[in-house]
Formats: sequence, C-alpha cells, structure tokens
Amino acid sequence: MTELVGRSVARVDGRAKVTGAARYAADQPVPGALQAFFVLSTVARGEVVSIDASAALAHPGVVAVLTHRDLPRLTVPAFPYFRRFLPMQDTAVHHVGQPVAIVLATTVEQAQEGAALVAVGYRAAQPRVVIEDAREPSYLPPPFRNLPNEIRRGDAETALAGAEVRLEARYSSATRHHNPIEPHTTTAQWDGDRLTLHESAQGVLATRTVVSAAFGLPPEAVRVVAPYLGGGFGAKGPVWPHTVLTAAAARVLRRPVRLVLSRAQMYTLTGHRAEYRQHLRIGATRTGELTSIIETSTAQLSATEESVFNRSDSTVELYACPNLHVRYEGVRLDVATSSYMRSPETTSHFGLETALDELSWQLGIDPLELRRRNHAEFDQETGERLTGKHLLDCYALAADRFGWAARLPRTGATKDGDEYVGWGMATETHTFNAMPSTASVTVGVDGKALAQLATQDIGTGTYTVISQIVADALGVPITDVQAQIGDSALPPAGMSVASATIASISGSVDQAARAARAAVVDLAVADPSSALFGAAASEVETSNGHLVHVRDRQRRDTYRAVVGRAGRPVQRTATVLNKAGHSYGVVFVEARVHARLGSVRVTRVVTAHDIGRVMNRRTARGQVLGGVTWGIGHALMEHTVFDRNIGRVVNPNLSTYLVPVNADAPPVVETLFVDKPDPASTAMGARGFGETPITGVPAAIGNAIYHATGRRVRDLPITQDKLL
Amino acid sequence: MKPFGYTAVRDTGEAVRLASRTPDAAFVAGGTDLLNLMKDGVARPGHLIDVNGLDLAEVTETPAGLRIGGLARMRAVAGHAAVRRGWPVLAEALLASASPQVRNMASIGGNLLQRTRCGYFRDTGSPCNKRVPGSGCPAVEGWNRGHAVLGGSDACIATHPSDLAVALLALDAVVRVRGTAGERKVPIGDFYLRPGATPHVENVLRPAELITAVEVPRSATARRSRYLKLRDRATFEFAVVSVAAAVDLRGRRVRDVRLAFGGIGTTPWRSPEAEAALRGNDLTAESVARAGRALVRDAEPRHDNEFKVELVQRALAELLEELR
Repeated sequence: MTELVGRSVARVDGRAKVTGAARYAADQPVPGALQAFFVLSTVARGEVVSIDASAALAHPGVVAVLTHRDLPRLTVPAFPYFRRFLPMQDTAVHHVGQPVAIVLATTVEQAQEGAALVAVGYRAAQPRVVIEDAREPSYLPPPFRNLPNEIRRGDAETALAGAEVRLEARYSSATRHHNPIEPHTTTAQWDGDRLTLHESAQGVLATRTVVSAAFGLPPEAVRVVAPYLGGGFGAKGPVWPHTVLTAAAARVLRRPVRLVLSRAQMYTLTGHRAEYRQHLRIGATRTGELTSIIETSTAQLSATEESVFNRSDSTVELYACPNLHVRYEGVRLDVATSSYMRSPETTSHFGLETALDELSWQLGIDPLELRRRNHAEFDQETGERLTGKHLLDCYALAADRFGWAARLPRTGATKDGDEYVGWGMATETHTFNAMPSTASVTVGVDGKALAQLATQDIGTGTYTVISQIVADALGVPITDVQAQIGDSALPPAGMSVASATIASISGSVDQAARAARAAVVDLAVADPSSALFGAAASEVETSNGHLVHVRDRQRRDTYRAVVGRAGRPVQRTATVLNKAGHSYGVVFVEARVHARLGSVRVTRVVTAHDIGRVMNRRTARGQVLGGVTWGIGHALMEHTVFDRNIGRVVNPNLSTYLVPVNADAPPVVETLFVDKPDPASTAMGARGFGETPITGVPAAIGNAIYHATGRRVRDLPITQDKLL
Repeated sequence: MKPFGYTAVRDTGEAVRLASRTPDAAFVAGGTDLLNLMKDGVARPGHLIDVNGLDLAEVTETPAGLRIGGLARMRAVAGHAAVRRGWPVLAEALLASASPQVRNMASIGGNLLQRTRCGYFRDTGSPCNKRVPGSGCPAVEGWNRGHAVLGGSDACIATHPSDLAVALLALDAVVRVRGTAGERKVPIGDFYLRPGATPHVENVLRPAELITAVEVPRSATARRSRYLKLRDRATFEFAVVSVAAAVDLRGRRVRDVRLAFGGIGTTPWRSPEAEAALRGNDLTAESVARAGRALVRDAEPRHDNEFKVELVQRALAELLEELR
C-alpha cells in the first residue's frame, strides 16, 4: 500500500465541518445553562466606585448580576495565564474592556441587554496607551520564562565602529489582533467540586492547569473539552480571564453557564500582538558579510504584565554574524496584556529582512546573494554544525521558479500600464517548540483503529495527519482510523501553539500504532486459527487491513479477524519528547504599485520551505496560503487603533479592522518544499511549520514596493497614504 | 439587544401611519446596517416596521430618466441594463459597495440612510455627539484617518459612507419621500445636512417619512460617467476617497460636468467650484489640477487625514483621465 504520510490527503474532518456536523465548543448542548455577558470597563485606568444593577435585574430573563463582591476569591494562575491579576477580585481597572460585572440570563440577547443596563461609576485617570505617549522611558524587563531579555555575542559596538559599511534604521509595526472567526467561548458545568469546560482552547491540558489552579483544585478535578476550533492563531493558547470568571459564575449560581465573547470584547480580553518599535544598526564588510548587529526593540506592555512576546530569534541566529547585541525593552501602558500571535517572530523579522534589503542596495549586491553570503552553517550560539538545514536549497528552488535571475537591479525600472512592478524577497524562519506527548492507539474487535491523545486540531489538519500516521503504521485504510483528540481526559499531549503540534505528537502516535500492530501480529502468529500461525512476526506484512506472510502471500489474515477472535481490543501507548528547532524557507513576491494613487497589489508569490519531512502536502500548502495571506494583512492593512485620549480601541470589529479578502489574495501562489526528513526529529523526520510561512512576507512585500517605486516604508502597515 | 416590537406592513400608507403613531419606530428593509447597529446597542428602536412587503422595488426607465423604487436591492440596480447603459456611474458605485451578499439584501432607500462608519459612533463606550447629543466628539482630537476634511464642525467630522449617494449627487437625482402629509420630492443635494451643532440630524427626513423612490434624470453627462473608489483593501470596504464624475465632452472641450466625492465630506460632497474650473474649458492636466485645487480650497484636515487632500485630487485626475 502506498504510504499516506507525505501525500496530499484530504481532511478527514472536512465533510463534518462544511456540513455543520462538527460541533464546536459553543454548539455543545448543555441543558439548563445560563447565558453570560460581560460588563466591561469603559475607562482605561482607575477604579470602579459604584455598580447599579437594578435596571439590569429588572430586565426580563436576567437571573443575576455578579460583581467583584459576589465572586469567590481566586488564585491568580501562572503560565499560560498572562496578566498577573484576575478581574472582578477588586475595584482596580487596568485597561479598557476589563470585566467589571457578569450578567446572567436565559438568552444571550437578554444577558447582553442586561449588561447594557448596568450603570458603573468610575474614578478614572488619563490613560497612556501607545508607545509614543509612554509616561516613562522604555526599560529592560526581567527575563520572561527564563529567557533573557538581553543577548550579547562578541563585541558588537566595537565591531560596528570598525565596520567597512554601516546601516542604521528604525522600523515599527502597529498593534494587531488575532481575530479567529470562532469567538472565544466557555461553557462551565460543575458537579460538586468537579468542573467540565467546553472551551475553544489550543491547549486542553494547559486550560485544565490554569483553571484548577485558580480554584485551588487538583488538575484531575477539571475536564476541558475542545473537539474543534474555528481558528486560534495564538489567541486561544493562553487562558484568559473569561474562562475563569465563567467557571466562577457557574459555581456561585450552581448552574451551568455559557459565555461567548463578542467580536469587540476580543479586542481587550484575549491578547494581541503588541505595538512594536525596532532600532537596528548593522555593520558589514564591503562584500556584504555581516560583522555586527545591534538591535533594541520596544514593545507595548500592560500595566500588570511585563512579558515580551515578540522576540528576535532570527536576528540572533538566522545569519552568521560574530558580534551581536539584542535588547528587548518595553514600556508600561494602560492597555490589555499582549500575547503570542501567530508567528511572533514576524514582528522583528520584518526589520531584519528589510534592513538586509537596504544593505543590498547600499552595497550593490543582489539581495538573494547577500543572504547566501551570510548563510549560517553553524549554530551561532553553540557553534555546532546545523545538520539537516536546507535553506540554500530553498533559495535555489524558489528563485528558479520565480525567475529571480531576470530581476533588474534598479528601482522604478518596470512599468505595466499605470503600475510600477517590483520584486522582493525575504528569508523565512521561525522556531518551533516540542512538548512531551503520549498517544494511545487501539485496534478494536471490528478491526478499526482509534488514536487518542489530548492534543487539539486548531484548523491545521491534526485529525488528518494522525489518521495518516496510524493508517500507515498499522497498514489499514485511513477510513478505518478514527482520531479522538481535544479532551483533557485523553492521554496527555502538547498544546497546539508555537508550531508544536505535529513536531510533538507524530512520534508518539507512530510508535503507539507500531506497537499495536506488533501486538496484533503477535496475536496472529500465536493463534492456531490463523493462517499465519507459527510464522515469525518479522515475516508478516500489514497492508490495507490485511496481515500477509511476506513469502507465502496465500497465508493471510485481517485485523478484524485476529482481534475479533481475541475478543478484546488491543491497545498500546507511547510517549515521545521531540526537540525544539527551526524551520526555514524563502518567499519571493511581485507587487504592483499604482503610479498616481499609491495602491498596492501583490500579484505573484513563490515560496520554498525546508520543514523536514512534509507530512501532508495539502495541509502544508494550506499553511503557506494562510501565511502569505496573513503576511499581506500584516504588511498592508492590519492595524488596531487606540484612541490616545480615551484609551479605547476604535476599530474592534472586522468592518474596520481590515484583514485581506479574496480579492487581496495573489492570483498565483506557488508553494515548494525541500521535503527531506530531519534526522534529529523524533516526529518521523517532521519539523514544526505553521508559523514559518508568514515571517518573510511583510518584508518581501516592502522590498518589492521599494524595487517598484524607490520608496522605502519602514512602518507597518504600508497603507496607500504612505506611497503618495 | 433591546427588545423590540415588529410589524410587517403591506401598504405604504399603513407603513407611514404606523410609524407616525409608534414611538421609537424604525423602518427596516434589508437590515444590513440597522441590525448591526441594534446588536451593538448603537440603535435602540422599540419597534421595527418591516417594509419589505411594499410594492416599491421596481427599477423602470422612463422618458425622463430612471425611477428606482426605494426597496430595489443594490444588486438589481447595479445589474439593470438601462442603468449600465445610461448611468454607468450608478452601477459602478453600487458594485464597488459592500459584498455580493450585502448587495443582495440591502435596499436603495436603506443605503441612503446608512449610518457613518466612525468608530466612535459605533462604540457605545465612547462619547459621540451623533449618538448621544452633547456627549462630545473624540474624533476631532483622536483617530480621524477616515474622517472628513470638508463640511465638519467641532461637534462632528464623520463621513457619510454611501457610494450610491455620491453617484446620485453627480446625477442630480431626486429623492421621493412619503409621510403622513403625502409625498414630496427632495433633490439629493438638499437631502443630507452638515453636522453643525446637531450631528444627530443627518438628513431632511421628517418623522415617519419613508423613501419611496429615487428619480435620476437622463442626461449627456450621465451617459459618460464613472466612479473611482480608493480603499484600504481590494473590496468589501468603505471609501478612503471616492469620486463620481459625469462629463459631456465635445472633443476635449467640457460642455458640462458633475463632480461628487465620498470619504472627504461630512455629507456626500458636490463641488460646484471644481466643476466651474472645468466647464467650458478643455480637459487638460492644468484644468484638472485647477479643479482639484478648487475642490480642496476650504479643506480642514486633521491629524490623521491630511493625505486625503492630496489623494482626492489625484483620484479626480485619474478618473477624468479615464473619461477623456
């Protein structure tokens, strides 16, 4: 049987999703559940001085209005709960849109109207919400999760001073929000001291950890169920206050409670990509070898949390450079806490890859050639040779397909009708994480296989890849495999964050399935009723649900018959911990800029990626298409606006927070893969990938715009007005 | 959401009578704007009068021009053969609006009455003179990239978002409205009101009046008319700047011209000064530049929207170039 792993296998959950059969968290029927709606602070800084709920309580259907006076005192949980405070434990207001009351009613509409009728009085102070308005200068926060906020290598200042060529530039990007289409939702149901949560979560176990800690319960007392997600993009990786507060409301009222955040509420309650500034100084030789990189970034921090989420891993380790000094600074502002958003490293990578483009023009070296000259053969921190890195192959593959050799090394050189045409490129890279994962694979008496593990499918194709792996390892049709995930009661597995899912789970699923196969083969060869009785296990092949003797193919049996005769299912588990690492690639972009109006279209994109073994070509391409689209949004339009006087988000909806629509997507996106298994990966040679294919897109677009027009825009997003 | 009553009506007279005697009533047709405003708590009508059953959806070509029923859907008008032939700017403005799904639902009357996209207006947590008179306008000193550079006041600088209204303004359209006192006609140029001190009053409609039709005269300028809409993404987005131009050219000579603009004024903006700079003159780069300068002579840009002053002149030049 042809292997399924590596092929373009269609999503096994596709039909359920497009027909509506897939039940998302808020679709789970929970009889008797009250509907919750938050009253959010309208001011950014200050305290609640009064809450009058009388009008809300008089509204039809409203059952209760809970405030900080009504909720139990909770423990502020640790990672992955950010903010370092829980709302509704006291009267302090740290940001606009902080929950100050919960209205519970029979219907969502009643709860929402009840929330509108709660009158809250505040004592408010003038907020500061953007970096430019910070009260205090930026500072170096303490290490975040043991990661230092200052990194030095060699003597960067001296090397810069002595460099043959120097470049200094400042880059910035606006606040962004994740905007998964499925809103965050929690349904909390208590049974004594046991809690079940139907949650849209990227980590069912992490959610269990956080919520049990908040209530002082053992983790086993909490069960978190999340079979499907309508997108997460990092927003549903951390656990946010609404989850804990919904569970608290259910505990107080002794009834199940369901909360679905509104789109607008997701702009202050579930994290964002922080407003960001970056100051880069680069030293190089006349032939383009980097000799020094000095980078200081400044991120928007909240009043309560000083973690920096947008780190500069590519500045530190993508290119060979002996001297480096990177500082992650921040400023405290009266905004909600930021967080991880798909490909956090994109934020700094835009500056690095734009600076390299600027350096290439300064030196008169082709930008691709400049990157080749600085290719890192060795780990820049440890000095170890980077085996299994095929970035140079990516450059060659994609440059050839794009036709990069025909690039004219002049700006404004190509005009087509009313538009200038430009080409740009950027290297892509992102770290991926790996988390310990246990998987269980069971072959039932019907010969069908069930894989179980507490991972999640955040829309990336986890169900499908698990099914492929099990089908291959057992030798059964994929239609005989079912994957059961998204439930904290299953064997513990990693979160679906940090490009970690496939890298974390694949090895354990494969090993558990192979162990189950071996167990079934052992049953067959020991079973006098089997045609394989007496054969050596090593002489048995499995394919398409059959067990076949390799030399005498008439001797055969089936999973169904073997396990059926045994009378009980065969179950095996395996635990694997993979290593974290990097994926690599390159993106080439053609952009067109209207000569008079400054409007930009991205018309052609070619990518090539080195992600170890490609597990599923179709879902891997899906990640690139999504990444390119995200990159277009990041480069050209996405932008959360804070009002600097009142501190509110001015565009908290998809009507005014613009994301790309179909007409913004390039008509041509070619996605190439090196597809060489990484020998260091225990995930069948696969590496994590989901975040890599955005990282270079914003810079590649900006570089193409420069090539088209000679205009360098260093502040994202590049809206039309910046190109007039 | 505030609870509301609901009556579906079958007769225009009944609709108007019901509206006149029902406090807090609002007409609803496609609902593509009103329902969003209600869900967000921005509009809080106590009663909805569903007018979809009224016989006001026809688009007819008459000797005088075009008569568009107030309940005609955007899609029906945009795709109408006579409209595309005799009033192309109208079809183009409609097709540049919203999404196919919205255009299938949204009515012509409702389009003219849609509310501003100003983020402060649509956020009940913000002050807004248009939503809560006297509460203040954060846009004047706040985020105003999308706001008007013409026709504003200290109380309000929000733009009107309709592309259709801009096109109708360039076509000298007339709005027919029906109230308890009967029917009256309002030229589209008189229909919208600048904010002044009362930004919550956006048009001349009296209580319980319903838009029954829009009449668009036939003309040489209408036949040679185009719409250009610039926005921050390729589609499904409101205008940063838009231009409706209708010209009657003899050779290069401008016999007559109508110019209307979206995204720059607090109302759909007609510029007689810009038209005067072109009328009777040759259409040249110089005359177009003069028209552009006349258009923005009184512009009052704010912190974030100064670029509109330049962009709208370029958009005008671009569109007139296409019409030449």
